Amino acid sequence: MAVAEKIDTPLLDELEKGPWPSFVTEIKKARQTSPMCDDLLGQLELSYREKIGHWKHGGIVGVLGYGGGVIGRYSDVPEKFPRVAHFHTMRINQPAGWFYTSDALRTLCDIWERHGSGLTNMHGSTGDIIFLGTRTEELEPCFQELTANGFDLGGSGSSMRTPSACVGPARCEWACYDTLKLCYDLTMTYQDELHRPPFPYKFKIKCAGCPNDCVASIARADLSIIGTWKDDIQQDDDAVAAYAAEGVNIQKDVVDRCPTRCMEWDGAKLTINNRECVRCMHCINVMPKALRPGKERGATILIGAKAPIVQGALLSSVLIPFVPEEELEETVKELINRVWEFWDEHGMNRERIGELIQRVGMANFLDAIGLEPVPEMVSAPRDNPYIFFRTDEEQA
Amino acid sequence: MSAQPAKRITDIGPPHYEKFLPPIIKKNYGKWLYHERIAPGVFVHVAESGDRVWTVRAGSPRLLSVQTLRQIAALADKYSGGHLRFTSRNNVEFLLDNPDNIEPLKRELQEMGFPVGGTNNAISNVVHTQGWVHCHSAATDASGIVKCVMDALYDHFTSESLPAKLRVALACCLNMCGAVHCSDIAILGVHRRPPKIHHDALRKMCEVPTLIASCPTGAIRPATVDGRQSVEVIEAQCMYCGNCYTVCPAMPLNNPDTDGLSIWVGGKVSNARTAPKFSKLAIPFLPNNPPRWPEVVDAVVNIVNVYAANARKYERMGEWIERIGWPRFFELTGIPFTRYHIDDFKHAGLTYARSTHIRM
Amino acid sequence: MPVPIEEIAEEMYKMVVECEGKRNLKASDLTKAMIAKYGEENCSKEDCKKALRQLMDSGRTVYSYFGGSYVTLPKKEGAAPD
Repeated sequence: MAVAEKIDTPLLDELEKGPWPSFVTEIKKARQTSPMCDDLLGQLELSYREKIGHWKHGGIVGVLGYGGGVIGRYSDVPEKFPRVAHFHTMRINQPAGWFYTSDALRTLCDIWERHGSGLTNMHGSTGDIIFLGTRTEELEPCFQELTANGFDLGGSGSSMRTPSACVGPARCEWACYDTLKLCYDLTMTYQDELHRPPFPYKFKIKCAGCPNDCVASIARADLSIIGTWKDDIQQDDDAVAAYAAEGVNIQKDVVDRCPTRCMEWDGAKLTINNRECVRCMHCINVMPKALRPGKERGATILIGAKAPIVQGALLSSVLIPFVPEEELEETVKELINRVWEFWDEHGMNRERIGELIQRVGMANFLDAIGLEPVPEMVSAPRDNPYIFFRTDEEQA
Repeated sequence: MSAQPAKRITDIGPPHYEKFLPPIIKKNYGKWLYHERIAPGVFVHVAESGDRVWTVRAGSPRLLSVQTLRQIAALADKYSGGHLRFTSRNNVEFLLDNPDNIEPLKRELQEMGFPVGGTNNAISNVVHTQGWVHCHSAATDASGIVKCVMDALYDHFTSESLPAKLRVALACCLNMCGAVHCSDIAILGVHRRPPKIHHDALRKMCEVPTLIASCPTGAIRPATVDGRQSVEVIEAQCMYCGNCYTVCPAMPLNNPDTDGLSIWVGGKVSNARTAPKFSKLAIPFLPNNPPRWPEVVDAVVNIVNVYAANARKYERMGEWIERIGWPRFFELTGIPFTRYHIDDFKHAGLTYARSTHIRM
Repeated sequence: MPVPIEEIAEEMYKMVVECEGKRNLKASDLTKAMIAKYGEENCSKEDCKKALRQLMDSGRTVYSYFGGSYVTLPKKEGAAPD
């Protein structure tokens, strides 16, 4: 299909100026194969003129049997822009670590060119491949072509959302566990929860290989699995000296920046008191050739992060300080099952697990999922003396 | 619903990642020793085996046409054995086993308009939401502002000259479909007026108890309107979160005259040095001014410049502000401190200054 | 005596029809109602899951989304009516 008509978009054209790559240029490129993009440009220009969006709530669209993976979207000015009257998004579960072959990428492109606007996001905020804009009748055929080619939809609505993972051991020396494998295994284990929303609200899982947390799991995941280590930082003294010789100010840029002041530099040798180290990664980040995470690796499991809706934003907090790598998958699965059971029983509509824990109290939550309280779970013990003592316990 | 075809494949999950790993990655999986920076956007990882893999990273507009994706795939065929990956911040990465390919690949990426950079102490690509391109609750556009901001910060993407890494994110409403609440600089679309209630539509499509329960401040209550059951909003209690609109389409709160943007600073996700932290309010409101949003661009550039000039090496935005104190941040940036900067929701008291530690 | 999956599905379907336009049902609402009706020993969560899947795969019910996922009867086109 050739570009049929000239569309006047003086405001959007301003966004083709400047050095950063332009999404407007991308939409214009996709016009070569999809007339939907003409009307998308038209409607977007209208939004730019009127300073308001022109999309309506989604409601009920999807593929047969699934309750997730499609975000319904309709234009509120379909008479002006009939080709985006429907403009649904499909979320396609990305391969762990966002690795592709060029063939796989082209396969996705071909499918999407046949069934939708030809516009994508690589990737959406949760990690999925986003196919941006199609009609209701294209959803099922597109889905069937995707699964025939080895791809499947991701999560949306009150489902487990598509888990994601950092690049992990594929290309990072700091990966303290196999993030790609855990992400893939969890995704496969919970296909039903991913595709058929069973929960009070969304549930996100993110696998980060080290405390640098390149997938923002502590900010965004209901269950954050962040790699860490138990033994000593692996240290190469010659390499430390080489960094110093190259001009790294070990005292100022490494030792003085250590949050627990657990290291000393005498001008020739770096001494780390590993008992005091909180595994923040700073010294390792500065000198990756000289310092590495220890050999006894695993992960810290944290729970409850979320964006503000409804009761305010939360960061994840520690649930299990350290799980050895070899026990990680089993521990995580057992934990997930218990957490989901509790949430299923007590969660209110649109209440994330973090909010539920705030509402019922962490201690009650721990009782329910069968975890013992440990001091690593809190930044400090309570300073509030209103304690709910349990009547079933011996008075101390 | 159309008839079920003979063989319908479901629940297969994503392709196994191993299928897509380059041979050099497969060979050295979990056996990387260290990495070194080569140039902005280029670094090398060295494996125990002695193998090296060079990564070239380029920024993308996130919204990509299939035409551009095919160009990217062709580059992968030409330079990285048909393999590539994307990062959590919408960058594309080519993993090369031959360093001779670095420069020609960089050249071709730049010719395509894709900047190479985003590594170390650079501003990496912006994580953002859909905005007017696809969202029903957007208070502003997303891609457009990101484009304008990154045009202005372009040199910070292609160089590594900042004190530390700087992460910018944008969300077009309080739903925050992006990790904006823990970013060095967060640009957040805001509504500032209560929802308008479309009573007829509400009766048809919304469940009133769910709607009432959706309000975090209890501002929605049942009411009789024109003799029929509906709801009303206690406007003084509304903080424009849009949660009611999400559960009930008859409560829209998009408003072209009053919607706009706010700027938040000092958040981080990484555990390096200091604990992860939320971004805090810097500017409560800036106007929606498409197509180039000059007020937002200027505000972000100003904050970046003041940070770059004043922070010490390895200090993230929030770490720098904690060291110098918020009063000094407002003074240095020239941003006025207002009543809106003082929290009044849950746990507000935790943000009050509860000491006499004051820089005079 | 375990309740046959078909019967659970039928009961769930009745509940969806009865609640149509009055109350939004989540998958867990249906599950809890079935367990309350038949008792956990006769009707497990797993059975309810299977029953719901039967309803969905046959297209008799669909998932809808308004700030949460609900089980509803299929509509001709899913646009939010206005």
